[in-house]
Amino acid sequence: MALLQIAEPGQSPQPHQRRLAVGIDLGTTNSLVAAVRSGLSEPLADAAGQVILPSAVRYHADRVEVGEVAKAAASADPLNTVLSVKRLMGRGLADVKQLGDQLPYRFVGGESHMPFIETVQGPKSPVEVSADILKVLRQRAEATLGGELVGAVITVPAYFDDSQRQATKDAARLAGLNVLRLLNEPTAAAVAYGLDQHAEGVVAIYDLGGGTFDISVLRLTGGVFEVLATGGDSALGGDDFDHAIAGWIVQQAGISSDLDPAQQRLLLEAACAAKEALTDSPSVTLSYAGWAGLLSREQFDALIEPMLARSLKACRRAVRDAGIELDEVEAVVMVGGSTRVPRVRQAVAELFAREPLTDIDPDQVVAIGAAIQADALAGNKRGDGEELLLLDVIPLSLGLETMGGLMEKVIPRNTTIPVARAQDFTTYKDGQTAMMVHVLQGERELISDCRSLARFELRGIPPMVAGAAKIRVTFQVDADGLLSVAARELASGVEASIQVKPSYGLTDGEIARMLQDSFKNAGDDKVARVLREQQVDAQRLLEAVEAALLADGERLLDADERMAIDAQIELLRDLMAGTDGLAIEQQTKRLTQVTDAFAARRLDATVKAALAGRSLDEIEE
Amino acid sequence: MGSPCHFALFDLQPGFRLDQELLAARYREMARQIHPDRFADASEREQRLALEQSASLNEAYSTLKSASQRARYLLALRGPELPLEVTVQDPDFLLQQMQLREELEDLHDSADLAGVAQFKRRLKVAQDELNESFAVCWDDASRREEAERLMRRMQFLDKLSHEVRQLEERLDD
Repeated sequence: MALLQIAEPGQSPQPHQRRLAVGIDLGTTNSLVAAVRSGLSEPLADAAGQVILPSAVRYHADRVEVGEVAKAAASADPLNTVLSVKRLMGRGLADVKQLGDQLPYRFVGGESHMPFIETVQGPKSPVEVSADILKVLRQRAEATLGGELVGAVITVPAYFDDSQRQATKDAARLAGLNVLRLLNEPTAAAVAYGLDQHAEGVVAIYDLGGGTFDISVLRLTGGVFEVLATGGDSALGGDDFDHAIAGWIVQQAGISSDLDPAQQRLLLEAACAAKEALTDSPSVTLSYAGWAGLLSREQFDALIEPMLARSLKACRRAVRDAGIELDEVEAVVMVGGSTRVPRVRQAVAELFAREPLTDIDPDQVVAIGAAIQADALAGNKRGDGEELLLLDVIPLSLGLETMGGLMEKVIPRNTTIPVARAQDFTTYKDGQTAMMVHVLQGERELISDCRSLARFELRGIPPMVAGAAKIRVTFQVDADGLLSVAARELASGVEASIQVKPSYGLTDGEIARMLQDSFKNAGDDKVARVLREQQVDAQRLLEAVEAALLADGERLLDADERMAIDAQIELLRDLMAGTDGLAIEQQTKRLTQVTDAFAARRLDATVKAALAGRSLDEIEE
Repeated sequence: MGSPCHFALFDLQPGFRLDQELLAARYREMARQIHPDRFADASEREQRLALEQSASLNEAYSTLKSASQRARYLLALRGPELPLEVTVQDPDFLLQQMQLREELEDLHDSADLAGVAQFKRRLKVAQDELNESFAVCWDDASRREEAERLMRRMQFLDKLSHEVRQLEERLDD
């Protein structure tokens, strides 16, 4: 079967010559690169022996510094030093402004909707900043491995949406890397853990990083890693713990919270240091701007409790989505630097009623897993002969806008990728020749609560009566989790399609909120949905009645009848502007009743005309 | 080109009673062969083919995995394509459904977690019974109407269990 051939015979790699591929964990706080060498996946160190590269970039007029040096300059040169750029990936200017005071940068709008950070070297997009980090890792890998890379697997948080994935892929290309695959971070961690421990069965990966939280539930079976469900809460991460401590300091010291960028950095650095110290000590002495105080671990635990509770809720939801019970999870693996916080480990242990595993360094496990996948994708056979297969899912539902501003789900969240699914739609008005296709991502029912991914128009639909056209919209999500959409009118074969490349986005918090709200507001949504449906029904009737009045009103109605109908139309119009769904529904019925006789007369006239040998169309004219 | 039968894809005989373990094993076997990861280095055309084939495989697997979708698929194999939404003429069942939904509302209002757990167990029993009834009649052409009714009941119970999940989410706040 030709399909199974991986490389053309002439292009096959020489035996015993490994093709160089790396796994890169591009993190909010820290980044790493790892590779498989002598059958073992391990992170690669820089010349100074350091494995971890802080995700910090400082721009000078004539050069760029990345890593520890840049991070150290963050409070001295806050405007030109970019930290936590991952939180900006795939975001629009408006979204970034919402992050507001947390970010000390000056943003400018670019040609696209992307935000640019004003630096001494000119405006820099988050994609460029990320690319500068990736370039350093690429150089490190090429120097260590002694050759050019075939490609790289770059990890992304599982809940990353389409535009964030696209932005990450763009950054890698900009850094001169061939992207073999975008891989979800918890899945990468599961690979590292599963192969290391020869684990089988159901495993949960609890991944709390600097700015992101993911929970994934997987089934491991003989080298196959099948993601059953994934979830996230991106308002969660070590950064948020730091902000909580910083807020506490501001409160205790009685200082103004209106700080300049340099002060803000110093405060956060003090908070972060305190958090780290509390991992090993029961309390820590803090000093900031002349104030000094003691923070106990108990006080810190209380500060982060609300965030922790949200992460546990996401865990329970993912387990439910996986269709299993908590006690069916056979192992829990801790990933991400923030899982070093003792209270986090304790809370996770309590939830799953088992001690979480921390065998592999939580900072390194993602890169190690990504390297294993990269090695396999590059065509290198694994030593133990067991071939690896990762089956991942989409984190958020994908759908389309339907009439009345509602989201119709085409692919529900936690569907295995790759996936292709089609849904048929029809036209709403007589003679409609174009249809807007609006692609959405999210869990809520109203489109205003979902993320808009793309819009495109299908034109050239042959004019037909409302409801006669059959428009098939096909969604396809590839193995990187990237979406493309095509629309086709089935009778005429008219087609339109788009590779979804959104140029703006929502904040991490908004995605998390979208998910959370969809559960919280399931009740409200239903009310809103019912109202929209009532409004749509009313609108439909209005349009039909008005078209009929225009065509036959003069001919078939006397003045009194016409006045009665007009009065009911007026009433319905007024009600439709409001939110009283029940009143709209009742008035819709009333208008139907008052136009009943008119409709019957029209039908009669049509039948008579038809009997006289005239076509329906001629009567409509 | 028509797509091959979902059952044939997994080298299984069409049937309602299905060895889920075997299905899962065959799925993993197939996925290993055609997943796009196996073609990371191949030509664009092969990559596209792998993507399409993997997507169909995933679709077939998810259809066969779910009892109600499998039932629906079997009936479509044996007879005319079934419309997704029809007016259901099954008054006793509908009445029972309404009662179950009211019960669910009460569980919500009283935030009764133990009650929800019990409700789930009852639902599971009801689903198992339906599956059993369907298994013995779907292949009998003279009992087609009955099989269709049972399949629609399965779909109703699917929806109900989805609602139970949503209720659990809400009670988790």
